[in-house]
Amino acid sequence: MDTFVFSLTVLLAGGLFALLAFRQFSLMKAGYIALTVSGSLIGLYAIKVPLVDGTLVTFSITWLHLFTLSFRLDSLSAFFLIPIFAVCPLAVFYSFHYMDNAAQRGRVAVNYFFLTLLIISMALVATADNVISFALVWELMSLSSFFLVMHDYQKKTTRRAGYIYFIFSHVGAMFIFAAFALAYSYTGTFDFLSFADIPGNIKIIVFFLALVGFGSKAGIFPLHMWLPHAHPAAPSNISAIMSGVMIKMGIYGIFRLYANLGVTDLIFGEAVLTLGIISGILGVVYALGKHDLKKLLAYHSVENIGIILIGTGIGMIGIASENMVMASFGFAGGLLHVLNHSIFKSLLFFGAGAVLQKTGVRHIDQLGGLMKRMPTTGKTFLIGSVSISGLPPFNGFVSEFLIYYGAFHGLTLGGSSFIFTMLAILSLAIIGGLAAACFSKVVGVVFLGEPRTEKAAGAFEPGFTMTLPMILLAATCVVIGVFPEPFVLAAFQGLKSIKTLHLVDVNEVAMIVGNLAFAARLFLGVFVFSVLIRKFFYFKKEITEGATWGCGFTQPTTKMQYTGTSYAISIVDFFRPFVHIRTNYSGISRIFPGRTTYNTRVDDIAETALMDRIVSPVLYLLAKLRWIQHGHIQLYIGYIIVTIIVLLLFI
Amino acid sequence: METYITLALAIVTAPLFPGIILKVKAFFAGKQGPPLFIKYFTVMKLLRKGSVYSTSTSFVFKLGPTVSFTTALIVLLFFPFAGSMPLFSFHGDVIVLFYIMGIGRFFTVIAALDTASPFEGMGAAREVFFSTIAEVTIFTILILFYRLNGSLSFGEYFTGETHISPMNASGALLLFVIVALFMVLLTENSRVPVDDPATHLELTMIHEVMILDHSGPDLALIELGSFYKLFFYSAFITHIICPFTFASGAVNGLIFFAILTCIYIAIGLTESIMARFKMDLVPQFILTSFALVFFAAILTMGVLQ
Repeated sequence: MDTFVFSLTVLLAGGLFALLAFRQFSLMKAGYIALTVSGSLIGLYAIKVPLVDGTLVTFSITWLHLFTLSFRLDSLSAFFLIPIFAVCPLAVFYSFHYMDNAAQRGRVAVNYFFLTLLIISMALVATADNVISFALVWELMSLSSFFLVMHDYQKKTTRRAGYIYFIFSHVGAMFIFAAFALAYSYTGTFDFLSFADIPGNIKIIVFFLALVGFGSKAGIFPLHMWLPHAHPAAPSNISAIMSGVMIKMGIYGIFRLYANLGVTDLIFGEAVLTLGIISGILGVVYALGKHDLKKLLAYHSVENIGIILIGTGIGMIGIASENMVMASFGFAGGLLHVLNHSIFKSLLFFGAGAVLQKTGVRHIDQLGGLMKRMPTTGKTFLIGSVSISGLPPFNGFVSEFLIYYGAFHGLTLGGSSFIFTMLAILSLAIIGGLAAACFSKVVGVVFLGEPRTEKAAGAFEPGFTMTLPMILLAATCVVIGVFPEPFVLAAFQGLKSIKTLHLVDVNEVAMIVGNLAFAARLFLGVFVFSVLIRKFFYFKKEITEGATWGCGFTQPTTKMQYTGTSYAISIVDFFRPFVHIRTNYSGISRIFPGRTTYNTRVDDIAETALMDRIVSPVLYLLAKLRWIQHGHIQLYIGYIIVTIIVLLLFI
Repeated sequence: METYITLALAIVTAPLFPGIILKVKAFFAGKQGPPLFIKYFTVMKLLRKGSVYSTSTSFVFKLGPTVSFTTALIVLLFFPFAGSMPLFSFHGDVIVLFYIMGIGRFFTVIAALDTASPFEGMGAAREVFFSTIAEVTIFTILILFYRLNGSLSFGEYFTGETHISPMNASGALLLFVIVALFMVLLTENSRVPVDDPATHLELTMIHEVMILDHSGPDLALIELGSFYKLFFYSAFITHIICPFTFASGAVNGLIFFAILTCIYIAIGLTESIMARFKMDLVPQFILTSFALVFFAAILTMGVLQ
């Protein structure tokens, strides 16, 4: 644990250094980056031992003479610490050229400080071992990320996004604390391990209360509403960390609680699986309907959380029905997808940040042709897109394959488990197809074709601190895809913390993953073969260039290109009862029509339902009570006195 | 040995069979039609040529044909043609292979979007939409097969002790699969009534419009890839109709190619007697195939209990 605490200390030193040295802008950034990167490397070194042989490391401190804050690093914690210590330093490195406005150096320093707090609190959330320490660092994580979202606080949309995030994270925390309080009332200790002693029916309540809380952090539909607001508002390196790493803490909470409760009922698996299916499918459908680059990526986080939960749900159903092949591969797929998603999602957010910085445009229908202007960003974004679509030979496919493998082995179950497993497979197939549709849209509209606006035409490659993290992450996507063995085994190692799960034999896992790796390498081999064939047939051939075939039309403009909106609308329309499409069409009335407008918007049903059904009635009700708040101090004091007297009556 | 022979035969003869479709269509139209080897001539002609590239395109455009050819070729390596052992096989390979076909589609689609042409964008949008629904049918079929014999690879489906056969106890369910898979074949290979490979109106096309700007050897690779894809789907249906467990490999091969020819003739028949659907009917058509196999999968709950 000493190395782990040391790494957190180095990280904290980095944050404090940023605050102290903010007047020297470049020095501050360089020093902060150096300290954060070294702190994270030490952290990666510290988790190596628990991840490899499963040794526990613990430490505790007494707080306020009353509470013991204890922390414990086991293999599950270690696995969740990998994305924290691997992705965060890259995001920090990326910020060197991304946050290049020297006039805002004070604000950048504050941003760095809160980023440090976020990294440290996430690392502590993943290791917290009792209720008090968990609650404390969970709050620290929510608050520090709130300040990070509020970086551009002068903008009204940013403030709104920040408040929405604040409300969601704290309502979620309220549910988690309620669950903990309920557990405490039965066990009488703060220790997580004592959760196993709670009576069975109370375990169900505890789990589902906490699931609401963890779900709102992770972004489970319909508690995902803060994501599409907060991610576009936050700076891109922060979005990368929040979407790639922080929301996974919600998943960690679900895993940890499930392990600690030691439950094996079917209801848990079926509930988690259902939530996963809903989040997965609706997440990607809304992503197709959105055309703000960062909002779209935020909805993809909802989708990927859905995939992770599908894997987790398959695992839980496997445990409930004592089908350990299903359980092992379902959980392992979900866990590996946590790592994979943190890699390609931060890569995509970095790419989106680069596009945003160089063009100033977030709407994809105003971009285009960036592949030629920003080749590194374009190529790495392409790799990230293929990975997130779950296509081989990249990393997204490895985890999805494990989930499929587990789910298929659950098909032999009877009754409701069969139906749930079948739905899981089908929804994975739908999600995969729609994600590929969505990312072919993003790559095609943003990076390919011709630029649609002046701003897109004038873009150029960002500085090396922005491209280097993207290259590293893209390379990792390929490495995990082609050499998946160590990563899958690490996920299996992480699962050893779940005591009810009897993992399948390591050799069997190695064989299956070996086959998968073989398929990926075979793909690369045949691909190289095809490239050589192509080279052979093009040897000494005449290659000419010309305009795109316009089907006889001789005056094409870049505005005639297919837009992202039209690309996606028929698919979104297919899901209409679950998606609100609003169109405004001015129509054509006269023989010589005037200016005609058409616009279409996709509304989130969860958001409209919350606004119409809950927020508006509550606001209406509270407006009726406005008279209580009138501004007369003497009456306010009167309220206090009356309250105290009333309370005294109860003593 | 059989493995290599059948695989080589598959790779060499795949371009022959689309010629059969053309012959059938010509017969129905009362024409003589192009020669049977027309597709070989087309590919040879294309391979001899150079290429014209649009100034709008980037490296992605050149990558598209290569990747789609690669994916079509790999699928053949895993398929047990005429009941012989496949060249490669492992438990779970079907999932990998259908996802590998997905990456082929992804690159075809983005290559189309790379041309900045409105028509190709339109085709791309339709392609991803329809193939997503078709994928659901495919995975339902995989679920059904897993329920039938607990296998998860083409090799396990069609070779070995517990192969899938219409003669088995639950063989009647395979009728649903055959019909559904034929519908998926029509969709995925852009045949009538989903798409019309012969039309010259770009607005109505799906797959053909995406490759408008490709030329020369690139177009040849795309064409070869699409022949392999069609061959794979037809062979898939062939194996479900008839399990190739006859003693002699030559008999297996003959029957295989005979049934395969029948399937191509069936495609030609469909194309001759049907008009293409309006675009908004296509999702319903594919969903029908899904409903059929989903029904079959639900029926296994009763069969197995």
